[in-house]
Formats: sequence, structure tokens, C-alpha cells
Amino acid sequence: MLKVSGLTTGYGKIQILRGVNLSVAEGTIVALLGGNGTGKSTLLKALSGLLPVWEGSIEFDGEPIQNLPPHTIVRTGLTQVTQGKDSYPAMTVEENLMLGAYVRNDKVAIASDLERVYSFFPRLLERRKQLSATLSGGEVQMLVVGRGLMASPKLLMLDEPSAALAPKIVMDIFATINRIRKTGVSILMVEQNVRMALLLAEYGYIIRDGVILIEGKARDLISDPNVKASFLGGTVVDTSREIKA
Amino acid sequence: MDFVINFDFSSLFAFILFGLTIGVVYGIVALGISLIYSGLDIVHFAHGEVYMFGAFFGLVFSKTLGFPYPVALVMAMICAAMLGMFIERVFYRRLTKGGGGYTVAGMGMIICGFAMSIVLMNVAFLIWGAGAEPFHVDLGMPYQFGDITLPKSYALTALMAILLMGSLHYFLKKTKIGLAIRAVAANKDIAYLMGINVPLMISLIFGLACGLAAAAGVLIGPMQSVQVEMGYLMLLKAFAAAVVGGFGSLPGAIIGGLIVGIAENLGAAYISPNHKDIYAFLILILVLMFKPSGLFGVVARVKA
Repeated sequence: MLKVSGLTTGYGKIQILRGVNLSVAEGTIVALLGGNGTGKSTLLKALSGLLPVWEGSIEFDGEPIQNLPPHTIVRTGLTQVTQGKDSYPAMTVEENLMLGAYVRNDKVAIASDLERVYSFFPRLLERRKQLSATLSGGEVQMLVVGRGLMASPKLLMLDEPSAALAPKIVMDIFATINRIRKTGVSILMVEQNVRMALLLAEYGYIIRDGVILIEGKARDLISDPNVKASFLGGTVVDTSREIKA
Repeated sequence: MDFVINFDFSSLFAFILFGLTIGVVYGIVALGISLIYSGLDIVHFAHGEVYMFGAFFGLVFSKTLGFPYPVALVMAMICAAMLGMFIERVFYRRLTKGGGGYTVAGMGMIICGFAMSIVLMNVAFLIWGAGAEPFHVDLGMPYQFGDITLPKSYALTALMAILLMGSLHYFLKKTKIGLAIRAVAANKDIAYLMGINVPLMISLIFGLACGLAAAAGVLIGPMQSVQVEMGYLMLLKAFAAAVVGGFGSLPGAIIGGLIVGIAENLGAAYISPNHKDIYAFLILILVLMFKPSGLFGVVARVKA
């Protein structure tokens, strides 16, 4: 459904991505993992058109979309959900959600999608007339995910949906992401919470310094010694045992 | 000292009323400046000249072509809006091509605005000459409230201004395009991700702001006269109004305009009419000294 090959891009003259290959199959959740400053968010920006693609290609639904303007890319069904802090704080919850549906004109379907978002996130229904600046971190995260759904996307790209949230809320958000996938929306999820993301996803990519370091089925990645070493804290325990001995 | 007036409440009331009327006009121009600032993070220094062009457009439509005054007002607004969108598309947008958009192009944009102001003034000079053109609108006898005589043009100005502000408020709050404009003003990257055609909305913001300036020009025409150099003083006063109200805040722009208008009229009446144009800046300095963010300014605007 989404196929990225040999993608390079960066900010100004500074190159961030150095030839990224990645693909997302229809109806699956794919996790893109890596620490801070490894190029995860840069990749999302290039995919959604906010950053120019220097080299390589992006194919979505069989059509090349690299270097189309961002508002055109949204209309192809590729929607990026930003981090929670990027809601519109001076707008109400419902205005934020309706902005998500900006590209659509089918009033009836928009209304039913709004109800669906409220059924995913009942808290948003309670707070629909409040300014989104008054929401808690978890609620804002629900809001931006809901706003992404309002575009009726084929592929939803989530930028660190678990960032800076309490574990209980992270569970809620991930459970909802799973429910969204069951409605037929494919998901590309950028995460730092590697364990949680790999438990949910079918396939995973690990990015470092702008290249894909490791890729594979999520199940295999969890038990991969390299992944364990760099992300899941395996070696820390081992070395500490050695030091004590 | 012939300008010392015996203090009485009905003349005080009259000065305030006139101040409010002129103040709403400042408010409308300030609204445009604030709209462009909140949308694009730039101060549009050619806005006074757009206001001047609007006044001339109104004059042409009403005097030369003989349209009724309200029709001339609307047509002048449309023409000025198109002029504004043309300027934005052809000149200002080029500066953003280097990357980073309007926010980064700030300094160059300010200089370009000044240049555009000079160019527009000279174009107007070539077309209409340097003389002051009277803008006669026959609206009939003035209204009489007890001791106070209110010319109909003042009443009409206030009415039209309130109507314009009301429709702008409705447009921004209740329509889909208004929502998109507010989204672009708050965060352009996110607006893009919502599928909003951001460059188009920026053009629209410019058009809207320039249309408002033209409305102010046509409304003030019958009270004063129309001339090529009328723009820069209006720009300064509207700028003062915008800063007094809180830069970038739309309700602030209107309130700021009213404050500047009233201050000007009261100052002229009770202190000295020879320095009428100073009072706006006096207020500006006072506000900057005691509340630099303006009366309705948001101290830290939330921007990603």
C-alpha cells in the first residue's frame, strides 16, 4: 500500500535520511522505532509532503506521491497524526475534529465519523465544547488521533502516540489503535516505546542515523538479541551481573 | 484661546461619539493588520496605501461611474481585495520561495512592504495626482439627538463598520473556510496536514485584510477627503490601535481602534486640536510602558 524506496531528505543542507526503504501492507500495523534524532519524524514529514524529497520515491496506492504539496497528499488517503502538543489549543475539541474532515464534503458521512470518533473516545464527547488547551495530555492525544480518523484515511501515520503519557493511558491509546486497524485502516506508527509497539505491530523497522538498521516481523524483533541490546535493556542487566561477579 | 470649550456633558458625549465613529474605522484597518500578522507573522507596511487605494476606488465607483454609495463601498472592497491578493501572489510570495515560508522571510518581507507602500503611493500619484479630492455623498439631513448633531455619514460609518466586524466574526467562527483560516494562522504545518491549501488561505487572508482597509477608506472618504498621502498616517494610527489592543488579537484591534479614536477626539477637544495626531501615539507609548503585550494581547502565543 505504501512503498518507500531509497528516500533521502533533510533540512536545508543537512541530510537526515540516507536512503530509507520501507513498506506498509494493507490492513497491517507497522512500527518504525528508534531513539531521539534518528530521523523518524523526518521520515513522516517527507511522507506527508512537509519536507521535500531529495532522492528516492514514495508510492501510495500505486501512485507516486513524492513532492506533491501536503494538502494534495492528504486527499489521497494518507493522513499524518502529529504529536498531541500539535492540536489547535485555541479551538474547541469539535472544531479540531472538524478540521480533520476538511478535505471531505459528504456531510452525512462526516457526522457518522464524528460519532465513531466519540465512541472510540467518550472523553472527547464530554469535552466537545471545551478549548483543546484545557485537555490533559492523554485527552489531547486522543484528540489528534480522532482528528486523523476524521479525514477517513486509508493509511494513518501516528507520530509517537505514547509520548509523555502515563502507562494506563498508553494502554488505552494502543488498544484504540488496534480497534482502528480492525476497521480496515492501515497504520504506520512511529514509537520510542519499543516493547509496546512491537507487541501491537505485525512488522517493525528500526532506524538509526537516517538508515534502517534492522527490519523484520515484530514477533522476531522482540526476541532479536540486537534489538534487545539496544532498546529493551537486555545488556544492561547482563553487564551488571558481570560487574557483581 | 478659542479652542477652550466650556465643559458640559453633551459636548463630552458628542466628542466620545465622534471618537467612536472614527475609532471603528481605525479598528477596521487595525483588524486587517492584525489578521495579516496573526496569519503570517509579518507586519504589512503597505496597508495604509491599500486603504488609500480603496478610498480612490470608492471615489471612482461612486463619483465617476455614479454607483450608489453602498454599492461603491462593496465594489471598492472587492477591487482592493484583488489588488491585495495580486501583491501577495506576485511579490510577497517570491520572498518565501527561499524556504521557511513567511515566518522566516520576516525581515525581507518588512522591507518589501515598505517598498510596496512607496510604489503604490506613486502609482496612485500618477493616476489621480497629488490634489485632495472631495468625496461628496449626499445622505440628507444630519441626525439630531438633543444638543448633539450627528452627520448621517458618521452614523452610516458606524453601522457599516459594525456590520463588517459582525460578518467577519461570523465568517471566521462559523464557516469552514473561516475555520481553515484560523488553522493556518495558528499553525501552518498542521493546517497542511489537515489538507488545507495553505498558500490559497494566505492569499485569502491578504484579500480579506485589504478589503477591510478599502472599506475603511470609503467610509472615511466623506468625512475627510481622498488624497494620495492619506495612507501613512492611517497606517501609523491603525498600527497604534493594533498594538494598544494586543498585536494579533482581532477583538483587541477593534477595542484598540476605539480607544485611539476616543483619545484623539478628547485630546483635540480638551488639550489642543493642533496636535490631534499625537494622542494616538501617546496612548501607544503608555500601553507599551505598562502593558507591553497590549490590552488583549496573549503574552506567550502557543505556536509549535
